[in-house]
Amino acid sequence: MAEPNAAPKRKRAKFTPAMRHDALLAYVLLVPTIYILFRIFIVPIFQSSVWSLYKYNLMDGSDPKPVGLGNYADIFKLQDFWTSMGNTVYFTVFSVAAELAIGFFAALLLNHAFKGRLLFRGMIMIPWAMLTLVSGLLWNWIYQPGYGALTVVLHNLHLLPDSSNPLWLSSSTKVVTFSAIADIWKMTPFMTLLLLAGLQHIPHSLYEAAVIDGAGFWKKLRHITVPQLLPTAIVAVILRIIGAYRVYDILTVFTGDAKTSTSYLTYNYAFRYFYLGKASAMAWVSTLLILILVIVYMVLLKRNQDSHL
Amino acid sequence: MLNKHSWPKWAAPVLLSAAMLSACGVTPSAKSDASPSTSSASAGAQAEMDWSKLGDGSQKGKKITVLMVDTDGRVAQMAKKFTEETGIEVNFMGVDYNSLFGKITTASLSSSSDIDIIEMDTIWGGQFYEGKIAADLTNVMPKETLANYTQSSVDSVIYNGHVLAIPYYSSSKHLYWNKKLLADAGYNAPPKTWDEFREMSKKLTKNGVYGSAWSWKQAESLNIDFDTIVAAFGGELLDDQGKLHVNSSEAVQALTYMTDLLHTDKTVDPSSLQWTEDDVKNAFSAGKIAMMINWEGMYPDLNNAEMSQVVGQTDVGLIPGQGAVKSTAVSGSEGIGIMQSSKNKQAALEFVKWIGEKGFQLDNFKEMGIYPSLKSLYEDPDMIAADTTETLGKIVEQFQYGSNRPNAPGYVEWADIQSNEIYNALVKNKTPQQALDDAAAKIDQAIQRAAK
Repeated sequence: MAEPNAAPKRKRAKFTPAMRHDALLAYVLLVPTIYILFRIFIVPIFQSSVWSLYKYNLMDGSDPKPVGLGNYADIFKLQDFWTSMGNTVYFTVFSVAAELAIGFFAALLLNHAFKGRLLFRGMIMIPWAMLTLVSGLLWNWIYQPGYGALTVVLHNLHLLPDSSNPLWLSSSTKVVTFSAIADIWKMTPFMTLLLLAGLQHIPHSLYEAAVIDGAGFWKKLRHITVPQLLPTAIVAVILRIIGAYRVYDILTVFTGDAKTSTSYLTYNYAFRYFYLGKASAMAWVSTLLILILVIVYMVLLKRNQDSHL
Repeated sequence: MLNKHSWPKWAAPVLLSAAMLSACGVTPSAKSDASPSTSSASAGAQAEMDWSKLGDGSQKGKKITVLMVDTDGRVAQMAKKFTEETGIEVNFMGVDYNSLFGKITTASLSSSSDIDIIEMDTIWGGQFYEGKIAADLTNVMPKETLANYTQSSVDSVIYNGHVLAIPYYSSSKHLYWNKKLLADAGYNAPPKTWDEFREMSKKLTKNGVYGSAWSWKQAESLNIDFDTIVAAFGGELLDDQGKLHVNSSEAVQALTYMTDLLHTDKTVDPSSLQWTEDDVKNAFSAGKIAMMINWEGMYPDLNNAEMSQVVGQTDVGLIPGQGAVKSTAVSGSEGIGIMQSSKNKQAALEFVKWIGEKGFQLDNFKEMGIYPSLKSLYEDPDMIAADTTETLGKIVEQFQYGSNRPNAPGYVEWADIQSNEIYNALVKNKTPQQALDDAAAKIDQAIQRAAK
């Protein structure tokens, strides 16, 4: 029994000169990629962690000096940071929940065979393909008071009295809510696409068996579609949480109020005020928080998934 | 299980990464180590640039990269004349205003020497000097040169006594009014004081027309309008140290005036809280707004029938004053400077000089409706002939009342705090007094935080 196993082991240990040459060549070819990835991923991440321990104000003529955890202490005391964090969490929960719900039903619909399905599948991708900034400008027009599409449509439907001309973006909370709506419009297709791919992997035999057992639409949905789709949904939701948490560009179109999201505030600290130390600390706090969020979420869903199996 | 003598698989990459990271130098380097001290930097810049040798042809065939605001390629077109005259090639990078600051600072952060010439807004002087972005031209440009330019444009290129650029253009906001709407309400002249403005607005607001519209979205445009009214009420926004002083009694009075127009009189189009200058211009062009405060460059669009319903109905003049103050305005002038990292400083200096000369300044007025920084042009027959809207005199009069915002390095942050708190008062989250007290406290905190 031992002989046949031992042979390949010996073989693996022995490199012929040609193999060694190939391996060397492979490493040489990998070096540029490794170097580039190293410089653009690992170095900046490490660098920002070092910077977060320094007073590093680039534009006021002062020299950098180490401050230990001083930047973190300052950020925790900064009311704006917590406000922005609250707004970001609100934006993330609201937009991802809505995208998941709408995306799920859109995927169910597009998974059925009907005439023109291909056209609809293509069309639904359009908002997602649009640049965030462009969709931001588009929604900024929609939300204009007076002549903006939202006001005009609501007036015409008589849902809003003619005398009323609301300012849709007049406070941080309103800005966050309405940019979440714009984000839902833009990013639901992404969710749909991922869920649709998941749906197509569910074996038909499961549904057939369920039908024989007398299951209706909702029962099939609850006992087959949802559990089978869960792994895909986990990935999709995590991707969207990470994306939504970083919301920045659409908000800059709507307002100059950086408290509407943590990324906006971090951006301003880094690239408007050039407090690179504090901005790095802010970025690290956000990164750690989102990591914790993602880990907790994965554990919860894993547990959920296991209980279904 | 791991063999006692074998290394875990991740050890090699981690060790390698650690070794490479330590070789990369990720700690921030002190500026005094990285670059020569300010005085020697200025001396170095001086050695590389010689104003007296400009035009000697020595730079012919060199190539410079210019980064300026130019969204439709018209400035790039004008810059071709520079190449024709000097033989210096220009690689022109036209960007929109909102991308400008980011592009310049990114280039500077990456120590890139790709860009030679940059456009500098009046409020960036402190950052560009302290952040060692712009070359110090104090000892390069002959002292008498700046005397040729309008005061507002000169102020916009100086920080703490250091000249960082050549004055590019002169700019401030102005009062525009719809003559027809004013005449309908029984007025044949615009308001001279803010009291008159308020009374006239009340009469003008009817039948879907608003007395005024403003760029009061939470942004710098809101600060500018606020600063203008504070100055009219006799307030000083800057203290002796060049710091913003936002909660003086005059400032509270000004903000109360703004909230009264909006909420008590209801003579301001409420959309103003979501508008920037362009939105206000569009609303004014639609003929539903009687008065607005806005920059130059509204003409010729306001008289273009394709873009405007108020052709020939509008006029421009002095922003109202109050009491002893005849008028006030906030400057928005800009300069053209040289990157400290530029490797073609002498060629870049040729460009800087060229920007400040009559040829370009006149072209820029004809092409873009931008008002010159060069004083002599305002009496120049060529310039007067080019003033087809006959607004030159009215625009220039306002420049005399221009005042500057601070350009200290911290201003960008203070301004964000100021506009946020003013906005809080405008949407009635806070009273004007409370909002401005909070702004003052937050600005103090920001200064302390920045010093830590």
